Amino acid sequence: MRAALATPKGVAGLVLVGGIVLLGVLGPLLAPYSPTQQVPGANLVGPSAAHWLGTDDVNRDVLSRTLAGIRVDLLVVFLAVPAGAALGMLVGLVTSWWKVTDVLTQRVFDLVLAFPTLILAIALAAVIGPGTTTIVLVVVAIEVPVFGRLVRTSLRTVREMPYVEAAQVVGARPWWLLRRHVLPNSLEPLTVQLALSMSVAVFIEGAMSFLGIGVKAPDPSLGSLLKDGTRLMYDAPFLSLGPLLVVVLLVLGLLLLAQSLSEAHRD
Amino acid sequence: MTDPVTDPLLVVDHLAISFAHPRPAVNDVSLRVGRGEVLALVGESGSGKSMTARAVLGLLPPGARASGSIRFRGEEVLGLPEAELSRFRGSRIAMVFQEPQTALNPVRTVGWQLREALRAHAPVSRAAARARAVELLSQVEIPDPEERLDHYPHQLSGGQKQRVVLALALAGEPELLLADEPTTALDVTVQAEILALLRRIRDRTGTSILLITHNMGVVAEIADRVVVLQQGDVVEEGDTRTLFAAPQYPYTRQLLASVLRLPTPDDVPAAPLRGVPEQAGTPALRFSDVHVRYGSSRRGRAFPAVNGVSLELAPGRVLGLVGESGSGKTTLGRLTAGLVPLAAGRVEVAGEDLFSVGARRRRELRRDLAFVHQDPEASLDPRMTVGASIREPLDIHGVGTPAERRARVLELLEAVRLPADVADRRPRALSGGQRQRIALARALVLRPTLLVADEPTSALDVSVQADVLALFRSLQQELGFACVFISHDLAVVHQVADEVAVLRRGEVVESGLVADVFSRPQHEYTARLLAAVPVPDPAARREPAPLVEVAS
Repeated sequence: MRAALATPKGVAGLVLVGGIVLLGVLGPLLAPYSPTQQVPGANLVGPSAAHWLGTDDVNRDVLSRTLAGIRVDLLVVFLAVPAGAALGMLVGLVTSWWKVTDVLTQRVFDLVLAFPTLILAIALAAVIGPGTTTIVLVVVAIEVPVFGRLVRTSLRTVREMPYVEAAQVVGARPWWLLRRHVLPNSLEPLTVQLALSMSVAVFIEGAMSFLGIGVKAPDPSLGSLLKDGTRLMYDAPFLSLGPLLVVVLLVLGLLLLAQSLSEAHRD
Repeated sequence: MTDPVTDPLLVVDHLAISFAHPRPAVNDVSLRVGRGEVLALVGESGSGKSMTARAVLGLLPPGARASGSIRFRGEEVLGLPEAELSRFRGSRIAMVFQEPQTALNPVRTVGWQLREALRAHAPVSRAAARARAVELLSQVEIPDPEERLDHYPHQLSGGQKQRVVLALALAGEPELLLADEPTTALDVTVQAEILALLRRIRDRTGTSILLITHNMGVVAEIADRVVVLQQGDVVEEGDTRTLFAAPQYPYTRQLLASVLRLPTPDDVPAAPLRGVPEQAGTPALRFSDVHVRYGSSRRGRAFPAVNGVSLELAPGRVLGLVGESGSGKTTLGRLTAGLVPLAAGRVEVAGEDLFSVGARRRRELRRDLAFVHQDPEASLDPRMTVGASIREPLDIHGVGTPAERRARVLELLEAVRLPADVADRRPRALSGGQRQRIALARALVLRPTLLVADEPTSALDVSVQADVLALFRSLQQELGFACVFISHDLAVVHQVADEVAVLRRGEVVESGLVADVFSRPQHEYTARLLAAVPVPDPAARREPAPLVEVAS
């Protein structure tokens, strides 16, 4: 894994993702205004020295709102995705041990995966109402079957590898095989999916907030900022620029990481 | 056949192919194929033989850079765009791939695939295509070609599939056939039939054949001329008979010397008779009427993989299990290692029934048992250092202090003739031969009394194989463990085993001392297996009677 991150792609991905994480974490220190503060007299001002990314139609500084918006995505990417992945792996690991639970769980996974992501999100939001929690829950619900299924396939492949059999033949107990060989070797390929899922999570947050079932106004998120930007696209095209750039760079960075991990895994 | 020098069909001049790696895949290869000639391109893995053939058809992997010249009937083909290349592919130059399993489309019938291949070259009517397909199948000597047209690939045996692949290649009436290890995936008796067929096709149609192989026996059977490649360079070329009789270059000599030979009937007295097994003491391994079935017996679809085998192996002896694919030899090995369930019968290891003792006793029995797997790529955990892999059995059974374990690892590395610093490396930094030595070291670390080796050298190059076998034999004599040695290669078994059991469809057809069975086979099947092994001597080239393959 370390070798993968040392490739040009890996470094570029790390720099992009790391930079955006840093912006999100240090956001409150860097931001010239509070994200909901209305600046008197600054209505739809274009990018300038005072407002790098301009101001919106209710006189709020877009740079400050973007920096605050990043934090929502960081929450979704670095909390919801790992939580969903961990839960999915646990479920997949435990249930694949017995045939009955294995079959049942996998059918439930089929059911969840059969729903288009956004339909599932809208349904969930209709039940528990919009908000950041809803986004987190949707992401967890989507990632559990993805990782549950992957870990099962991966386990099955590794369990039959000759090096596992070699240890089994000299008398290693199941727990030994699992801890020493099967788990480490089946979890490594999952890092690729983790990075991919993270980039999908950015999309889910964006889409949900864009549709109005994500983060509630006046709190900013990258998705809701894009929504505001689209509404005023003809009057103030600059509004979308900042949040758009962040989304693109974040997704690009995560995809580069996924790619470098998968390439390293292949050879 | 025309003179390859004055009137060549294919001329490759100073071909070089490189990737991002520092060492080029092909450095400087020049060769000529005459009309109607069979030219063998020989070399070990990494010699660039497959890349050279792929370059002829413009099938190089992305990222490859090729320079030099490849001329077909005087026309340059290297660097031609795809659209131009399709003028050559199939209709003038065709390719036969190594693995018939993947070269055929599993969801289409043989007839459909042949028809597609025919239509690719010229518009033909359905009836004409069918007639031509039947003709092609009879050309590759498939019995009942009319019927076979409606069969799917899974209904054919491996040899028949390779015949269909050959028929597909012949569909466009090519002048040159590129055959990349066309018999490597096949059983030895089938290999002999396919080689004879290739030769007859050349005689009948005058098609030139560029044969890529690592097997000197195959070369001796079929090739007119040989080009030997080593690490991307041509090291020697010449007429097959001359080259085999008097190889000039040291690498060629080494390659020929490392080919294992079976004894001919004339040198029977010289064959090493390694004494009769001492009957005293409990046998290291005993099978009594052993049955193994695959698949669910509840649904009544169980497939008998091993069917009533009884064998005995005395301590310190090596038993070779030979047979073709599906003979049950690997299943017997896995059964001994406790990796597959027993359906009926008894398996005794050192006098104890392996499948009826308690879990604790079974674990203790397993301490004395070791298993070496066929695939050097996968037999070591990629995440563990070599030292940790060798040490693992000691860790599992808690043998000795950490310092003692470390010392034992170094001792074994020395025993398998690898430097001590290998211990800190990971398997991916090692060659196949080195990995197989490490797998052997790991198997021997607990001083087992019984070792099961499943085709331990079949994935290795011949020169490496010879070294590993010699090492195995000397370790076996030194440490005195009993061994079940599984191989499809009779020459390998002849080299390492004291006794041999010939298996066919899950049953033992013949067993006894190696020297006896190999020089005086009692069973007709054993005799046929022995006769099918390609002899690395072009002077001894046989013209086998055309065998009609039994459909399976």
